[in-house]
Amino acid sequence: MSTNLPKSFTALEPLAEAWGLPTQDARQAKRRGSSTAELQEFYDAIVPLLPQLLSHVDEFPLGELPPDSLRLYYMSLALAEIAPHIELYRGDPNVPHSFEEERFIAVNGQQSG
Amino acid sequence: MTESSQHRWAEKYPELGQGPIAVESCISEDYYQREVEQIFKTSWLYVAREEEIAEPGSYKVKRLAFADTSVIVMRGKDGVVRGFHNICSHRGNTVVTETGEETFGHSKAAILSCRFHGWVYGADGALIQVPEEERFYSCFKKKENSLEAIHTEVWAGFVFINLAAEPEQNLHNFLGDYGTHMGDYPYSDLTHSYKYHTTLDCNWKIAHDSFAEAYHVTTIHAGSFPNVFSTGLSDVQLFGPHRTCAVCLNMSAEPKPVAALAQKHGRGSLVAKGGSAMLPPTINPSGREDFAFELSVAFPNLFLHISEGIWFTHQFWPLSTGRTLWEGKYYVRAPRTNSERWALEHAQLLQRNAWLEDTQTMENTHRAIASGAKKFMNLQDEEILIRHAYHVIEKRMTAVE
Repeated sequence: MSTNLPKSFTALEPLAEAWGLPTQDARQAKRRGSSTAELQEFYDAIVPLLPQLLSHVDEFPLGELPPDSLRLYYMSLALAEIAPHIELYRGDPNVPHSFEEERFIAVNGQQSG
Repeated sequence: MTESSQHRWAEKYPELGQGPIAVESCISEDYYQREVEQIFKTSWLYVAREEEIAEPGSYKVKRLAFADTSVIVMRGKDGVVRGFHNICSHRGNTVVTETGEETFGHSKAAILSCRFHGWVYGADGALIQVPEEERFYSCFKKKENSLEAIHTEVWAGFVFINLAAEPEQNLHNFLGDYGTHMGDYPYSDLTHSYKYHTTLDCNWKIAHDSFAEAYHVTTIHAGSFPNVFSTGLSDVQLFGPHRTCAVCLNMSAEPKPVAALAQKHGRGSLVAKGGSAMLPPTINPSGREDFAFELSVAFPNLFLHISEGIWFTHQFWPLSTGRTLWEGKYYVRAPRTNSERWALEHAQLLQRNAWLEDTQTMENTHRAIASGAKKFMNLQDEEILIRHAYHVIEKRMTAVE
């Protein structure tokens, strides 16, 4: 799989294969299978670039991102998945004191985007 | 009634009483059977949004396990939505092959064809074609073998069904002032949805109760919503069997970096203060600045919440005394940009996590109640919606007997 990202975001390429995942289910599974250190590493790497990233994806119409930008966009959606775990749950890869996540079915969890 | 009263809702609704509530109704097989017969089989139940079956010939099949049936709701070429039991008049196969709790389909010709032997029905339920019809006997009449109709009516784009042979009230009268209170909201404009479901090993009322108060937010949502919502309710109103209130923000919460960016790029989270342009004039009558969302319950099993740019539902479908299908559906305006789409994803995932926190207690509560060690639950004043629910259920069942 290519891990190319748009020019201004090449610093994130080492994380692209792990976090550039197309579906909500895949991003959720990745988060649950990661350590606190891995979540923190991804968070620390991408958050400083986030304002720039959101401007970049808005150079394209909704849902019409070229492959490199789409990969980057999937990484931003993975950040949406893990951000509460860094910002609210002290790095816990699971939602603390929660119902069993694997029993919670996301109806559209396998759709890309 | 004053804001300072600690018992303001009991003072407003003295008929509900203040005593403890017996928990037997959550674990009794007999009580459950009576709830099914006297409430679920005779009440109007929300089963589909009109947008889900927008085109003529579009249909949705929804399982109604408590009644051992499934309803097909289908839009005809005349635009009318009708409901039928999903059972063929031939030998009782399902007409539409279901793929789960909810099954969607579309027929350009607005017909339903049973896969078993190819019997064809119109969107009005009429049996219109039987292969090898001449081999049936003279006693067989097509016009006597339509699909079995289920009473189906629409309010504010919500399709409701009623399994009673003759419902006591039409949907409009059943919803009454609740319908007026919640009806004038642009539900159909907010179509970007996130849907989750799970089966919970608990009675449906335990699931209902867990979502029907804000007392739990400081403990249960210490993770996802720290210092976000007030534990007290605002503007509680009871409308016959239905109920509503407002949940308010605790304005002291400061968003973290990613959450702050998400709030800037899209309106998708209840955590941020929204406007009131979409809200009906009936909502937030106190004009509170810290209003977050309206939390309402349409009896018996629909939670409907509205906020600026966001509406969402919970439904609790009884499967047995100790099993419940929970469905959570969250709707926001369709994003126009990729960054807005990202912001909505962030909002929804945080909401999903909050629902994971909400559902955490339910099975434990049921298991503990089933021990029989405690016979009653104790409710405080801000748990008035729960008190009302038990009051209404008890009244319904007594009225029937």
